Amino acid sequence: MNRLRRTGLALLGPVLAILVALVVSGIVIALIGEDPFGALRVVADLGDTPSQQTQSIVVILNRAVPLFLAGLAVSIAFRMGLFNIGVEGQYRLATILAAAVGAAVTLPGPLHVLLIVVVAMVVGALWAGIVGVLKVTRGVSEVISSIMLNFVALGTASFLLTGPLRGSAEGQSIVTTETIPESGWFPSLNGLLTGLGLAEPRSELYGFLLVAAVVGILLSVLLKRTRFGFDLRATGLSPSAARASGVDASGMVVKTMLLSGAVAGLIGLPELLGEAHEFGTEFTAGLGFLGIAVALLGRNSPLGIAVAALLFAFLDRAALPLQFADIPSSVVTIIQGTIVLAVVIANEIARRLALRSAERAGSSAAAPPPDGNGGGGGDSPTGDGPDGGRRAATPVAGEQQGAQA
Amino acid sequence: MPPGDRATAGVPAGSGADDGAAEPLAVELRGITKRFPGVVANKDIELRVRRGEVHAIVGENGAGKSTLMKTLYGMHRPDEGQVLLHGREVHFRSPADAIDAGIGMVHQHFMLADNFTVLENVVLGSEPTKGGRLDRAEARRRILDISDRYALDLDPDELVEDLGVGDRQRVEIAKVLYRGATTLILDEPTAVLVPQEVDELFGNLAELKREGLTVLFISHKLDEVRRVADSITVIRRGTTVGTADPRTTTSRELAEMMVGAELPTPETRTSTVRDAPVLQLSGVTVADAGGRALVDDVTLTVREGEVVGIAGVEGNGQAELVEAIMGLRPLVAGTVSLGGEDVTAWSTRRRREAGVGYIPEDRHRQGMLLDAPLWENRILGHQTRPPAVKGWFLDRRGARADTGRIMREYDVRAPGPDTLAVALSGGNQQKLIVGREMSASPRLLIAAHPTRGVDVGAQAVIWELLKDARAEGLGIVLVSADLDELIGLSDTLHVMLRGALVATVDPSRVTPEELGGYMTGARTTAGAA
Repeated sequence: MNRLRRTGLALLGPVLAILVALVVSGIVIALIGEDPFGALRVVADLGDTPSQQTQSIVVILNRAVPLFLAGLAVSIAFRMGLFNIGVEGQYRLATILAAAVGAAVTLPGPLHVLLIVVVAMVVGALWAGIVGVLKVTRGVSEVISSIMLNFVALGTASFLLTGPLRGSAEGQSIVTTETIPESGWFPSLNGLLTGLGLAEPRSELYGFLLVAAVVGILLSVLLKRTRFGFDLRATGLSPSAARASGVDASGMVVKTMLLSGAVAGLIGLPELLGEAHEFGTEFTAGLGFLGIAVALLGRNSPLGIAVAALLFAFLDRAALPLQFADIPSSVVTIIQGTIVLAVVIANEIARRLALRSAERAGSSAAAPPPDGNGGGGGDSPTGDGPDGGRRAATPVAGEQQGAQA
Repeated sequence: MPPGDRATAGVPAGSGADDGAAEPLAVELRGITKRFPGVVANKDIELRVRRGEVHAIVGENGAGKSTLMKTLYGMHRPDEGQVLLHGREVHFRSPADAIDAGIGMVHQHFMLADNFTVLENVVLGSEPTKGGRLDRAEARRRILDISDRYALDLDPDELVEDLGVGDRQRVEIAKVLYRGATTLILDEPTAVLVPQEVDELFGNLAELKREGLTVLFISHKLDEVRRVADSITVIRRGTTVGTADPRTTTSRELAEMMVGAELPTPETRTSTVRDAPVLQLSGVTVADAGGRALVDDVTLTVREGEVVGIAGVEGNGQAELVEAIMGLRPLVAGTVSLGGEDVTAWSTRRRREAGVGYIPEDRHRQGMLLDAPLWENRILGHQTRPPAVKGWFLDRRGARADTGRIMREYDVRAPGPDTLAVALSGGNQQKLIVGREMSASPRLLIAAHPTRGVDVGAQAVIWELLKDARAEGLGIVLVSADLDELIGLSDTLHVMLRGALVATVDPSRVTPEELGGYMTGARTTAGAA
C-alpha cells in the first residue's frame, strides 16, 4: 500500500504537469485565433486507414528512440547532480565520426554495426570526459564547459563534414559523409509489425529500438542494483555524505560523465544505422537539448524517460498534420515547452507531498506505544525544527529568515 | 516597546504559578493541542508565565518544546486552546503577528549575515530610513541604547564574522529587542556556549528581567535551568506534566519529571586501556586555502580500549582534525597511522575498510542520505562490505534484513527499512548511524558529537554502546561539546585551541570549569596532568 502510494505520488507530478500544459497551450492557441479543440483533434488523430495508423506509430517510435537515449544520457549525470548540457555536441560529434569509420571499413554484418556503435560510444564518452576532467582538475562548472564544448563540437563536426570527411560530390546542396555499406545497416523491425497483424508502414521501424531498450534496462540495473550506481546516487543525494562514506568524488564525476557521454554517443545511431546511413547537413539536430526536457519529464527514471520520450515523439509527429490543418506547427513546441515548465513545478510539489507523507509515517512510528496520551515524537513532523537534528552547528548560518520575517 | 522602567523584578517567584496575581500573566497558554497528521505533537498544554520572570521549559528532545514555541511564535496555529498575552487572547497567523505583539525568538542557530556589521544585522528587515536610505545615525542610537540598557556590550560597527559565539548570541538578542520584544523565547541558548559564556548570558538575562522583560528559556540542561529560572514547566510526551520551583527542586527530581526515569551518567571508571596503539597521529597539520593552519601539529595516540576525548570550543580545528583522520582533508604535514601502518595516503574508503568507523558531527550533511530509505543508509559508508553488497551488486535483501536487525538492537523507531531517513527524529537517525558503524566491528571509531541533538534515552543507549565497545578493545576518538560527556567517557582528554592541542588533562580530576578555562585559553598548561 505504501509502495502504491509512493508510485501514485511519483505519477502525480507529470500527469498534473501535462494537464496544466494542455490548458495553457489551449489558451495560447485560442489567443492566436485558432480552435484549441481542433488542434487537439489533429494532434490525436493518427490517420484514417490502418496503413496510415501504422505509419504514424512508426514515426512516433522512430522519433522516440533517440529521444529516449538522449533522456537517458542526461539523466545519468542528473542522478549525480551534474548537468550535462553537452549531450547535443557529444552525439553530433560521435555520429559523424562513427559514420566516417563505418563508411571506411567493410566487415561482416554484426561486427560492422558493433564497430560503429563502439566508435560512437567512445567518441561521446571522451568528449563528455573532457567536461569531467575539467571539473575535477580545474573546478570548471560542468554547465559552462559542456555548453562551450557544444559549440566546439558543432563547429568541428561542420568542419569535418565539409572538409576531410566529405563524401558527397562538390556543389551538392546537401553535404554528407560517405555512405555506410549495407553490412553496417541495422535491420528494421517492420517484420515484427506485420507479424503483429498491423499494416505494412511506408517507412521502416528502427531496429535500434531493441538496443535502446537493452541500454535502458542495463542502466536501470546499474543505477539501482550495483555499488557503482549506489555511489552515483549517493553523490547526487548528498555529495558531502557520499564523500564521508568513502566515495571518491572526483573519480565519480569523471566516470559519470564518461558513462553519460557514451550513452549520448548512441543518440544519432538509430537514424544513422536504420535510415540515413550517412551523416549530413540534414541529419536530425537538437536531440541533446530535447533530452534534457525528456529526462526532467521522466524524473530521471528509465521507465519515466521512455514514457516522456513517447509523449514528445507523439507531439512531434503532429507538426506536419497541424500544418495541413492550417494551424501553426509551433503549437507542438509550445505544448512541449509548457510541459517542461509545468513538470519542474509539479515535481517540486510532488516531492514535498512525498516528503510530508514520509514524515507522517515516521512520526506515527516514532510515537511511543499507546499509553493513554498518544503523544510523543512531537517535534519531528515539522521536519527541521530546532530539535530535529542540526543542533548547534557552527554558528555561522548565513540565512536571513525567521526572526524578522 | 519595552514597558519602561516599571521593573517587576521584585515579584517573588512563588511555588505555584498562578495564585491570583493582580497583574495579568505575560504569556498564558490554555489547553493548547497541536496535531500533525497521525501524531499529536502537543496536547492540553498549560503554561503560565508571569511578567518579568525567566521561565524555563524543560523536556527531552522530541517532547514537544519546539512545537509549542512555534505555536507561540506564530509559525503554525494550534488546533485547540487559547494563547493569551497580557490577559488578552491573540491569534497569530505568522511570526510577523507575533513580533508585532512583542514576542521575539532567539533561534538556536544564529541567523546572522557574517559579512555585515552588528548594526546592519540588527536592523536588517526593519531598517529605519530617512529619505529612502538607511538612517545609520538613528539605528546606531537605538542599538547603543539597547546595548546600554541591557548591558549587551555591543559595538555596532564590528563585523559579525569577527565575533565569538557569545557575542553573536547577544547580537541575536539585540535584534529581537530592537523589534520591541517584551517576551523573549530563547531556544537552547546554551548549547553552543562554554561555561564562561553561559555565565555572561545569564548575566544578560538578569538585566532583561530587571527591565521587566519576560524570558522563556528552553533547555534540557537541568543545572543551568535551576540556576537561571524563576519557575520551570516540564513537558513530557507533548504535554505539560507540571511546574517546579527551581529553589526547592533538585535536578534529579526534575529529570524524573522529564523522563520518568533516572538520568543516565556517562561515567566509566575502570580503565580498559591496552598497550597496542590503534591510531597514531604525529605532527598532523591541516591548512585552509590561504595557508593558515586549521590543525596545527597535532600528535596523539589512541590505544585499544581507550577513549581519547578532544575538548574545545567549536571551530578550533576539531572538525578538521576529524576529517584529516578520515582522509577527507589533505594533510600539509604529518602522518596518520592505523595499527602501526602508515595510512596517510589512503583514501577514505580504504581507511573505512581497514576498520575505521565514523559518526560524523553533522549527521544530515555527512552521515545520512535523507531522501533515501533506511536500508540504503545502512549501505552508506559500507558499500564494499557484506551484508550490504555481494560483489559488484547491492544485496538489497541483506541490507534490508540487517537494517531490521539494527532497528531492533539499537531501538531505532521507524516503520521499517523502507522508510525515508528524513522521517526519523534526530535521535533515531543517530542510533541508526551508531548501529551501522558498530555493525562493521571497527577497531577505531571517530565519534564527533555522538549524542548531539539526541534525547536522554538515546543518549544513554549510545553511551552504553561506546562503553561496551571500548571494553572490547575499540579505540575511540571522541569530539564533543558536552563537557560532562567528555569527562565521563574519556580515558585521556586533550584540549584543542586554535588548531593545537594545548593541554592534556586527567578526566577523573578535572572540573567542567577548569576545562572551560583551557578551552578559552584563560588557563594554560601549567599544572595539567
